[in-house]
Amino acid sequence: MAYTEEELKKELETQEYEYGFVTEIDADTFSKGLSEDVVRAISKRKEEPNWMTEWRLEAYRSWKKMKEPEWSNVKYIKPDFQEISYYSAPKSKDKYESLDEVDPELLKTFEKLGISVNEQKKLAGVAVDIVVDSVSVATTFRETLSKKGIIFCSISEAIREYPDLVKKYIGSVIPRKDNFYSALNSAVFSDGSFCYIPKGVRCPMELSTYFRINQAGTGQFERTLVIADEGSYVSYLEGCTAPSRDENQLHAAVVELIALDNAEIKYSTVQNWYPGNKNGKGGVYNFVTKRGICHTNSKISWTQVETGSAVTWKYPSCILKGDNSIGEFYSIAVTNNYQQADTGTKMIHIGKNTKSTIISKGISAGKSQNSYRGLVQVNPRAENARNFSQCDSLLMGNKCGAHTFPYIEVKNNTAMVEHEASTSKIGEDQIFYCNQRGIDTEKAIALIVNGFSKEVLNNLPMEFAVEAQKLLEISLEGSVG
Amino acid sequence: MQLTEKLISSFLAFELDIDIHSDIHNIRTNAIKKFEELGFPNKKLENWKYTSLNRIIKEDYTVFSKKKNVIDFKKVKDYFIDNIETHKLIFVDGFFDPFLSQTSHDGLDICIMSAALSKPKYAKIIEKYFNKSANLEDSLTCLNTAFSKEGAYVHIPKNTVLEKPIEIIHFATGNEAALMLQPRNLVVVEQGAEVEIIESHQSLTVNPIFTNSVTEIFAEKNANIDYYKIQNDVVTSSLVDNTYISQKRNSDVKVHTFSFGGKLTRNNLNFFQKDSSINSTMNGVTIIDYDQLVDHHTLVHHANPNCESHQDYKGIYSGKSTGVFNGKIIVDKIAQKTNAFQQNNNILLDNKSTINSKPQLEIFADDVKCSHGCTIGQLDQDALFYLRARGIPKKEAKALLTYAFANNVLESVKIPELKIRVKNIIAKKLGVSLGFDL
Amino acid sequence: MLTIDNLHVSIEGKAILNGINLNVRAGEVHAIMGPNGSGKSTLSAAIAGNESYDVVKGDILFKGENIIELAPEERAHKGIFLSFQYPIEIPGITVTNFIKTSINSNLKARGESDMPANKMLKKIREKAALLEIDSKFLSRSLNEGFSGGEKKRNEIFQMAMLEPSLSILDETDSGLDIDALKIVANGVNKLKNKSNAIIVITHYQRLLDYIIPDYVHVLHEGKIVKSGGKELAHELEEKGYDWIK
Repeated sequence: MAYTEEELKKELETQEYEYGFVTEIDADTFSKGLSEDVVRAISKRKEEPNWMTEWRLEAYRSWKKMKEPEWSNVKYIKPDFQEISYYSAPKSKDKYESLDEVDPELLKTFEKLGISVNEQKKLAGVAVDIVVDSVSVATTFRETLSKKGIIFCSISEAIREYPDLVKKYIGSVIPRKDNFYSALNSAVFSDGSFCYIPKGVRCPMELSTYFRINQAGTGQFERTLVIADEGSYVSYLEGCTAPSRDENQLHAAVVELIALDNAEIKYSTVQNWYPGNKNGKGGVYNFVTKRGICHTNSKISWTQVETGSAVTWKYPSCILKGDNSIGEFYSIAVTNNYQQADTGTKMIHIGKNTKSTIISKGISAGKSQNSYRGLVQVNPRAENARNFSQCDSLLMGNKCGAHTFPYIEVKNNTAMVEHEASTSKIGEDQIFYCNQRGIDTEKAIALIVNGFSKEVLNNLPMEFAVEAQKLLEISLEGSVG
Repeated sequence: MQLTEKLISSFLAFELDIDIHSDIHNIRTNAIKKFEELGFPNKKLENWKYTSLNRIIKEDYTVFSKKKNVIDFKKVKDYFIDNIETHKLIFVDGFFDPFLSQTSHDGLDICIMSAALSKPKYAKIIEKYFNKSANLEDSLTCLNTAFSKEGAYVHIPKNTVLEKPIEIIHFATGNEAALMLQPRNLVVVEQGAEVEIIESHQSLTVNPIFTNSVTEIFAEKNANIDYYKIQNDVVTSSLVDNTYISQKRNSDVKVHTFSFGGKLTRNNLNFFQKDSSINSTMNGVTIIDYDQLVDHHTLVHHANPNCESHQDYKGIYSGKSTGVFNGKIIVDKIAQKTNAFQQNNNILLDNKSTINSKPQLEIFADDVKCSHGCTIGQLDQDALFYLRARGIPKKEAKALLTYAFANNVLESVKIPELKIRVKNIIAKKLGVSLGFDL
Repeated sequence: MLTIDNLHVSIEGKAILNGINLNVRAGEVHAIMGPNGSGKSTLSAAIAGNESYDVVKGDILFKGENIIELAPEERAHKGIFLSFQYPIEIPGITVTNFIKTSINSNLKARGESDMPANKMLKKIREKAALLEIDSKFLSRSLNEGFSGGEKKRNEIFQMAMLEPSLSILDETDSGLDIDALKIVANGVNKLKNKSNAIIVITHYQRLLDYIIPDYVHVLHEGKIVKSGGKELAHELEEKGYDWIK
């Protein structure tokens, strides 16, 4: 593929990146601990209807009976669920009518994050919903979107304004009892994003949510629900950051995607939660459940760049229920210092002629552990299912680990499944070649890592790809020598 | 009575019946305790996720045959490899059959475990090797250890190159309504020695047989071992084969597993590389049908630098059969310059057949070359058409392609007579009369 | 520009270069010839600073400064360019991205700011045209799947982009057909000027028909055994390397 002038220019641009700041904003935070009363209080604070309160309580009751999962390849001190505050909102008004009402300190935060909340900056062409700690604080471009019938708002607002849609779809892809953390999230989620694209509408801009844990001692439990009605298209981005803190913070999100017939959802994540310091102190526990369901002829594509968090446990999955549906998973997971990541995907082939592609790139440095865990399941009636998986690992240094745990279960003889995995290191000759061209070793490693991750980076929207590249570089700083 | 309880309660009676050497007694006692604690593995265990023993252990097995049964050579002649001289260790219903066997003590020992476990002249070797590489936490291995009494004992001294292969066959007569067998084999190949071993299990009737076998293999420096497992038993017999291989510097061990028969076959093949510059090879061909199940669990633990491992498993599944492949490669921090390769290719011929594959890598060293690949597909339709267009009937064309698919694994068989035998089994299995001499 | 004084180099304890003396001034082209295993590539690697090669004794002065202790990238920043005999593949990194990173690293080392995108673009165009490289080539992964000729052309393209003071062309002619050889030689000649210098390392005289050297040195068993003008190359071609042994 030849370059256009524009592409070439973009590739030649550079940017800086830095996130480890705390914003001083007054917050309205619940005292620590979890009980039915706390669940009720959250629901009440969000002015939720009765059915929602009951829905949460049922989730809470299931959660109480469940045990924390132990099967993944990660080791950590289990969070004390009574030591977490389950609700923290930037203190100010409950709702924001316009950006003018937003706390100026908060706006500064967004500026540091490089997020254009300012609607003037239409050049960016990205509509943003921002969730700080637990509450959605600003959604941009609403008017432009609503002209097309697109609903893009916080999930709390959706529960109040569009109860029928929420009621129909929430928990439909990830049941409350699906796992320990999805049950917990269902009980206590305080906000998140909601998105509905009507029939036949192609969303004209990227929709984006930025998540930030700001307050100390809080957990973040956001809930995202994206519904792409028949024949529609949406590209959705999510970015996450957190300040540097010594204690471990818990992030347990649930994301549900519904792609109805002929619809397409592209969901991209750049996850940069605080990973803890060089000695493994602090950092976010990122225990996330993400799953999408594909109806006939629809497509869901997950792309993720995971560089942050002390512990990541995350498997964005696709249920390929409809005939001819397509699932894709593109992932880069970088671990350094004491980070641990156990991530991958599940592709469940149910419909006929379903296709899935998995490209996973793991990069381990420092004393980190990086695991790919994936399931490709072809059910008996999934005629002509196709899967291609490729999992490559790059090891830097001799104190880290790279692991691959693919599960392949095929019950139909028309299936074609291919899985490849390899492990490699950065060649000394590659580094010398770069050095000879005047590129120092750290930069050379960043370059080689970027090349290694190319297939995944290419799937990110352009403006995110540049950020992601920088992020890879920053994450691997100090991993040499 | 449940099989678990039956086994535990039979333990005392079992030991009363045999010579009790105190060290072995302690090993057996610890093993039965461990089995009592763990019981039979179930599907909740990650390693048994895809294979359930429930339908096997529900039978009311006789846990050790009291009576020695004799069989006529003419009746079982076909189960021996033709046209080749071999050392023979033949067991019938768990007992050694001296008439069918040809043991040897000619500068080496090719004999039986019951002798090795009780006679002083073997004490040194037994003390050094017996139960030393077996997994002490694995319930089925422990169960076998508890009832370890009979099996093959092979000791090849330094620099001895064995000219004749060793043939080990475990027959079951079916004189018991249902029989459980627990053969225990020990193979010690000293420095620079070479040996080829062919092992099979054969039931002569359709009465249920459940064999829980443990084989420990020790390859000392520069030793060379080729171990062939021919699994072509009747479809009412089940086998759990636990093989533990411990290797020293520059040794080369290859295990070739051909799985065509049996109701349920579970192979736990474990390689431990105890030094540097070691080569380990695992090859397998599985061709099954009906409701047969073959489960290959391999483990290669690279614990030293400059070692290699190669795995190549091919599976062809028809009917309602199920294949499982779970390959695990562990590369320790110090095992730099490891080359570890793993391939698992599968063909599903019928819409009721299932394959579950789980090739895993756990890598803690950076300067290594490790890869695995897994494919699941069908026979190439274009190739099939091509063959048929040249006048080869469909069934034969399919058989040829199946054969071609498994060919590189078959080519690793070094004993020509054995290769012919395996090819004949495949032809029979595929219902064709092709020589496959392509 | 470059002064090599009694240079001894060994690899894993084995002596390869045994006292090399060489003086290269601005504006000059030097050819270093010699049979296989005479130490030609070791000399280029030692000048570029490859750490697998141990400098046991001697000095390398570049623009009057001893560079023996400098890292490879520091030498590159000072203007030393090595065209690799076997250019390295870096999957996923485009030629453009690589050259951009390289140029900006060099600028940064000199305290200058990054080259603006449009200027970079213009320069890439210009230099690509010089070496008859089309734009498709620039978007491919660095050296991955390149033919031998493409790899070498890419090396000279990078040389053109970086405009080094001293270029060492290590067996640049190997793997090139005659047309590619002409293009590469033509490119090198256009880049030659009064203020830079070129060292051509080659086994054959062929390349020297196109890049005319001012001096020819013959390397044998780690020493320069004969030096002369361009006619020495022809003499070698006629008489073979046995002549100098």
